[in-house]
Amino acid sequence: MTIWNKAERAGLYCGLFLLCHGIAPHLADGQTGNPAAVASLGKSIYESKCVACHGKEGKGNGPAAAVLSPRPRDFTEGKYKFRSTESGSIPTDEDLLNTVSVGLHATAMPDWKPFIGDDSLKAVVAYVKSFSIRFTRETPKLITVGGAVPSSPASIAAGKNTYDKLQCGGCHGVDGAGKGAVTTEFQDDWGYDLKPTNLTEPWTFRGGSAPRDIYLRFTTGIDGSPMPSFAGSATSHEMWDLANYVVSIGRKPVWTMNETEVIEFYSHLESRAKLDPVSRGKYLVKTVGCEFCHSPVKEDGGMIEELRFAGGQRWDLYPFDNVVSYNLTSDKETGLGNWTDEQIKTLLTKGIRRNGSRMIPYPMPWPAFASLKADDLNAIVAYLRTIPPVYNRIPDPQSPNIFSYFWGKFKVLVLKKDIPLHVFPGNAGTAKEKTMSEIDARMRQSAGEGRQ
Amino acid sequence: MKKILKWIAIIVGILLVVAFFAFLYFIPPFTLIPPEEFTRQTVEAAPSLDGITDPALRAVAERGKYIATVNDCSGCHTPLGDQGPKWDAYFSGGGRGTFKGYGTFNTRNLTPDPGTGLARRSDEQVQRVLRSGLLPEGRVAHYRDMPWAAYSNWTPEDRYAVLVYLRHLKPVAHRIPDDNAETATDDPTAIETLYSLDVGVWPDSGAARK
Repeated sequence: MTIWNKAERAGLYCGLFLLCHGIAPHLADGQTGNPAAVASLGKSIYESKCVACHGKEGKGNGPAAAVLSPRPRDFTEGKYKFRSTESGSIPTDEDLLNTVSVGLHATAMPDWKPFIGDDSLKAVVAYVKSFSIRFTRETPKLITVGGAVPSSPASIAAGKNTYDKLQCGGCHGVDGAGKGAVTTEFQDDWGYDLKPTNLTEPWTFRGGSAPRDIYLRFTTGIDGSPMPSFAGSATSHEMWDLANYVVSIGRKPVWTMNETEVIEFYSHLESRAKLDPVSRGKYLVKTVGCEFCHSPVKEDGGMIEELRFAGGQRWDLYPFDNVVSYNLTSDKETGLGNWTDEQIKTLLTKGIRRNGSRMIPYPMPWPAFASLKADDLNAIVAYLRTIPPVYNRIPDPQSPNIFSYFWGKFKVLVLKKDIPLHVFPGNAGTAKEKTMSEIDARMRQSAGEGRQ
Repeated sequence: MKKILKWIAIIVGILLVVAFFAFLYFIPPFTLIPPEEFTRQTVEAAPSLDGITDPALRAVAERGKYIATVNDCSGCHTPLGDQGPKWDAYFSGGGRGTFKGYGTFNTRNLTPDPGTGLARRSDEQVQRVLRSGLLPEGRVAHYRDMPWAAYSNWTPEDRYAVLVYLRHLKPVAHRIPDDNAETATDDPTAIETLYSLDVGVWPDSGAARK
């Protein structure tokens, strides 16, 4: 490599570095007068901060999207959950600005305010709006917020009546925490699983937990979710009472509990987990992130969702074996369908495969899973059993030849060389041809859309 | 007499060569030691929380410890030597990963060391990384290098428990170099490269620990 090439590369990295660190957008702050400058400012911030989840085209399909719950917003539809506008209406600029500034609680959407200046935040909102044609054609239909009713025992009692009248308990439970709910399994407009918010945990209210935030949720509805707007079903006064009631049923969060309360709370969680091991298992699997490795990924690191949990991600662990992540679906031929519970648990906690061979302690972190409590281990197995079968045959680990192995070990142990592991894109397993052609078709489609 | 010495020298020489190859073959001793030994090391490296006087806080920290252990934070955040993790530097960072086209991230020192660790970060800053991958300097970590997209699924109460646990780790002075913008993976067909040795600096001793 020539000196010039090196200099060029260094320049490129410098540029990327500035972009990644958002320094460039900050320098441009203050140029609010010029619409072209605002647009390019919004775009540059969006492309350095937002694309990981929302995707370059704003479709909510960035590389991280497939593992997030709830999914990131698809901006192209112009459909937003947390607004101060009528059900079905586009949100106001203030609504969007608020979401970007303070984030959405209990989701991966953070509060950007400490990182992005006011003008830049506005530029991002303008850029986000530009993804949907709705913002050029429609105007937001604001709802009228009636005069606030301060909280009082009478207002709370009246709110309880409204809670019953509007049948909130059908989804949220009579206690707000799901007790006696008709059902708590829902899907949103995009087909993703959704559970009703636990109303006793105000710190998880995505749109905020002040009485006014709660009031807005009843009156605007949460578009895209089964939560309707109750505007017209109750008076403004009743809505404020209801908001006061919802605030009143909030329980103590763990960070304010005393010893007895913490112990009681944790034992309550444990007994609830025992009653519903599949849910507990799902929580553990989702939070540990099993699907990060047990699904094949694209060049940008995004998951190939048709093969979620079906393995096929190749890891080159030289000088150790090259391995392909296993198919965790319940497919009998290529997945865990024919494994016994004991075999799954032995692999999870001891790193011993079904054929008796040993795994090294990474990247599959079995020494960590050995610390799982027996109930949690059972719960994980119970959840894995519920994953629908997907055929994807995983090849056996490939050992390097003995000379190559010794040479690699010599480099690490004697020459103290840092030998990196590599992860490769694409499916290294053998899936059904039909599955692969579906994946190809979808990839071509999204690549085509990307070019437009 | 000379002949015997010569033979002894030859035998010793052969033994040394065999021992050297055995060393190369078996170290790190992944196949020599039973699985339970790995688990024992992992569990014993974690700090005892008995010293926390507030019993409520202790209970929360214990839950955080359980979550952090089974999620294997240590897998990336405990520095690696050529023969395995440096357990006495538990959770003090030093790993390195590059995601193609995105950047290089060094795993940070999560211990409450005032100069090099999380004592410099607010509760909000730490929880923001766990929830959204948004680092204190405003950059978003790649979701595969730091799996925040999985940890965003933690309930806020579980996330808080992890935070409390991190606040009660044993402080280790281990300076982690700033992330850099290297976006090329070592193998051009790979999307991700994870390095196997510690990139941190030890301000105390000046030398890397075993």
